[in-house]
Amino acid sequence: MPAKSFEQDFNKGLWTENPVSRQLLGMCSTLAITNAIMNGVAMGLAVSFVLVFSSLLISLLRKLIPNQVRIASYIVVIATFVTLADRFLAAYFPSMSKNLGPYVPLIVVNCIILGRAEAFASKNTVSTSVVDALGMSLGYILALLILSSIREILGSGTLLGYKVLGTWFEPWIIMILPPGAFIALGLLIAAANLIERKIKLGR
Amino acid sequence: MRLSSRMIIVLTSIGLISGGLLVSVNSLTKERIGLNKQLEIEEAITQVVPGTKTSQKLYEEKDFAIYAGKSDDGRSLGFAIQTAAGGFQDKIILLFGSNPSLTKINSLRILDQKETPGLGAKITNYDSFLKFWENKDCTGALRLHKPPLSSPDQLAPSEVNTITGATVSSEAVLNCVNSSLEKVRKLKSEGKFGFEEKNAR
Repeated sequence: MPAKSFEQDFNKGLWTENPVSRQLLGMCSTLAITNAIMNGVAMGLAVSFVLVFSSLLISLLRKLIPNQVRIASYIVVIATFVTLADRFLAAYFPSMSKNLGPYVPLIVVNCIILGRAEAFASKNTVSTSVVDALGMSLGYILALLILSSIREILGSGTLLGYKVLGTWFEPWIIMILPPGAFIALGLLIAAANLIERKIKLGR
Repeated sequence: MRLSSRMIIVLTSIGLISGGLLVSVNSLTKERIGLNKQLEIEEAITQVVPGTKTSQKLYEEKDFAIYAGKSDDGRSLGFAIQTAAGGFQDKIILLFGSNPSLTKINSLRILDQKETPGLGAKITNYDSFLKFWENKDCTGALRLHKPPLSSPDQLAPSEVNTITGATVSSEAVLNCVNSSLEKVRKLKSEGKFGFEEKNAR
């Protein structure tokens, strides 16, 4: 496998096929938990863990699993890793587990993971699938990082829990509520589209 | 091999392996998760019943538990009552401490809530809500004071503050504390939990 292709498989998750800004997958968790940076990062890491390991396992088993039961098999594999992540968080990071609440178990139905399993890991070698999953994970974490930074600064006036805006700043409570999530996501996608158009015009 | 049997074998083995894995992970983490929850409750009990060194669960049912806070020498310092109020969006799990005769509320802590951030969620904030719940006379039912006052000293002994813009959340907590106190008194008079006997031993 040439190195060039590995690089392409990794990079497409960051920009051209970014799960949040381009594919619009996994919106439920993206909108719900990006009210603070720590929550966004923790969610990003949990999704990455599940995505990388389920991609690895599914591409490993791709020739064993009959076509007719593939979706059921993928869901069992994904649900197993999600439960592992959930128990681990509850045991070692109880406060984080409390903040993320039901959104950790809901990773099972996060379309990024099933999407990558069906569209990529089930058709490619183990190494390419892992590289693809790593790229997608990083793209997802970056998108959540941007969204949660915007929402935390405007909604609470803090960054990672530290006060960065002075007392003059009255927090825009709407930004940490659901409408703020839609506003911030809309702006993020608009910005991504704008940059994409600039790139195309430049060519 | 026939396709149907292959389908059954593959799916069954995936299910069995993942089931086995989950059982082992659960048994590895179960103890720690239980410990985390217990630590959280114990810490909250120490806060609502001052001077508590050890605590003991006296009574439990769904969304309701009574603990006794005890000093080093086993003397009972008061009750800590854990209960759930119907909040604006979801249950508000709270814990409040009283003296042994159930006539005074020491203080209140919110253990879990999903109220609106910036409004109802202020019930977790000490300066905007919790400090107005300290040392309240609860021989009768507690009342809500509207509009909110700025200092706890201005409130009558049986009054607590409202949060501006979050009357629903403040009222939910208040009604829940009042009804829980009634329930504890009733259970106590019926002898449903042994506080005095254990104390005497």
